Amino acid sequence: MAGSINRRAVRWLRGQLPELVAAGAISSENAAKIEHHYASVETRSNFGFIILATVGAAFLGAGIILIIAHNWDDLSRATRTVIAFIPLVMALALVAFVLLRRNESRPWCEAVAIFDFAAVATAISLISQTYQIQGSFADFMKVWLLLCIPVVYLLRSAFGAVVYAIGLIVWLFAREMAFFVRSPNPMFFWVAFLLIVPYFLLRYWKDRESRECTALSIALVIALTVGMGFTADFAKSDLGCIAFAGLFTAIYLAGIRFFPRSDDRLHIVALLGGIGIGVTAICLSFESSWHMTREFFWGERILQANLAFALEFLFPLAAIALAAIGFSRNRAQFSWPAVVFPIVTAIGWGLANLCDKPAERWLGTRCSFTAAALMNCYALWLGIDILVRGIRAHSVARANFGLLLIAALAISRFFDSELSFVTRGLGFIVVGAGFLVANVLMFKKRSASPA
Amino acid sequence: MKGLFILIFVLIALAQLSVPAWMAWARVQTLAHGRVWKFKTAPVDPEDAVRGRYVRLSYDVDRFTGHEKFQSSDSVYAVLKENAEGFAEVDRLTTEKGDGDNFVKVEAWWRNDSESIAFPLNQYWVTEQDAPAAEKAYAENSRRGQQNAYVTVRVRKGDVALEQLYINNQPLRDFLRAEAQKEKK
Repeated sequence: MAGSINRRAVRWLRGQLPELVAAGAISSENAAKIEHHYASVETRSNFGFIILATVGAAFLGAGIILIIAHNWDDLSRATRTVIAFIPLVMALALVAFVLLRRNESRPWCEAVAIFDFAAVATAISLISQTYQIQGSFADFMKVWLLLCIPVVYLLRSAFGAVVYAIGLIVWLFAREMAFFVRSPNPMFFWVAFLLIVPYFLLRYWKDRESRECTALSIALVIALTVGMGFTADFAKSDLGCIAFAGLFTAIYLAGIRFFPRSDDRLHIVALLGGIGIGVTAICLSFESSWHMTREFFWGERILQANLAFALEFLFPLAAIALAAIGFSRNRAQFSWPAVVFPIVTAIGWGLANLCDKPAERWLGTRCSFTAAALMNCYALWLGIDILVRGIRAHSVARANFGLLLIAALAISRFFDSELSFVTRGLGFIVVGAGFLVANVLMFKKRSASPA
Repeated sequence: MKGLFILIFVLIALAQLSVPAWMAWARVQTLAHGRVWKFKTAPVDPEDAVRGRYVRLSYDVDRFTGHEKFQSSDSVYAVLKENAEGFAEVDRLTTEKGDGDNFVKVEAWWRNDSESIAFPLNQYWVTEQDAPAAEKAYAENSRRGQQNAYVTVRVRKGDVALEQLYINNQPLRDFLRAEAQKEKK
């Protein structure tokens, strides 16, 4: 419906309302209702326009870069320096214009924020080219992100915040590729991540159901996942499994606690946490995940590595706190197997560490087999629980995710173990039949129940 | 409230303008007043040569090895001296930054019982058009037995600015033009 409405006509109608009320054609109550109706229509159609405006701004920025960088070898260094600043000065002039004249317009704020991001990048890279300034791509990203984050706040730009979160992920990977000399330190990620958190909270308090808030929370969850991976690698403490289990459980619980829904479905944040739990459980069901390197005790430890070590405990503790709060209020909400994931992982970690370190890293021990066996039982329990809850809630997607987990577990074990082809084939048939039967039953149940 | 926003905006604008401006200013100062050093470039592995639009440089001085072990948190500086042919050489490594025009911060790591170093100037930016020819020229003139490439670097109070890449004693741009002329004929 939103698409079929003529915006100019709406504006005309809204302009006519005071006259109509004055003439007694409609009551002021009716006028307020009409005003309210079209206000919601306008915000809905705005989202698409914001995206288009933002993409347009990004292309404009990129286009300027390409035009300038092409064929400027004949210009002097001074001329090139002046040219490098032109897009940035333009962007800043637009920011000032938006602040003074278009401060309430979402498309203007979003588009100008993105244009300013692009202009800062242009200025830095063109100056770098002109003066042969050295430095890795990661260094460039770092400066760029720090210069851009204030604009997110100033223009209240949700897309700017999403781009910033993506930039953080890019920085993490760029750094990994650039430094081959010493183990790269990811701690800047956490400082930079903290800088965006207040903005997310502002958005959340203002309107947590908005698409901007949802998009930003997805970007932040992905950034956290990547950041935690590099932090666990940097900490060299073999605790990555517990850190990830804690992180995904905390995300799952936070999704349920802070994004409650009236229907039976999960918010995307809780869903991402749930998928993370499932994937991590399958990864940890492999015996090789439990080979402990005991790198922690090798060599010197610097302050940042100890901080990374402490960070690995942050999310498991957050998960416990969220579970405790949830348990004291409404216990029926969340899935038990999902909540106990960090505890099961911690038990697995303890079991895997009972044995002495094997002579070679790739050799398994009795302890690593026990830990993997525990994780296999856990993943099976998780899969069955999700399947059952999905069937109860009439959610085809959730039931299939439960089945998918069980199937992934079964397939992983087929590749892991030395079973004959006949046994493997039979296993695949059982898994496939399970999918079919469960889905047929669910659809029958669905069509039988009054919608 | 609006006044506060304007104040914040002015601060952000100053920050966004000053970082690239400062980057340029520091190099302008060094290029204008710094001492010139010539660094002979070393043979490169051709496959590791062009990444995007820069020529990847490596240096003879990278082969220098020190015997003092530094902490991983130390900043390591190479103290330069000029050899008989007029090219720069590393005299010694130190952790103390002097304010002379012969100190360059380097990446250093301990390997095979000695301290290896890498010079931080390994990207020579070129335009998209010139990149393939520049890369070819550099690779051909940095082979073992045919080392005709060097860069001039300006050093001032610890700040380093890469000035020009010379091939066959000609600035890269002039060399490429001359080569293009030859091909036309």
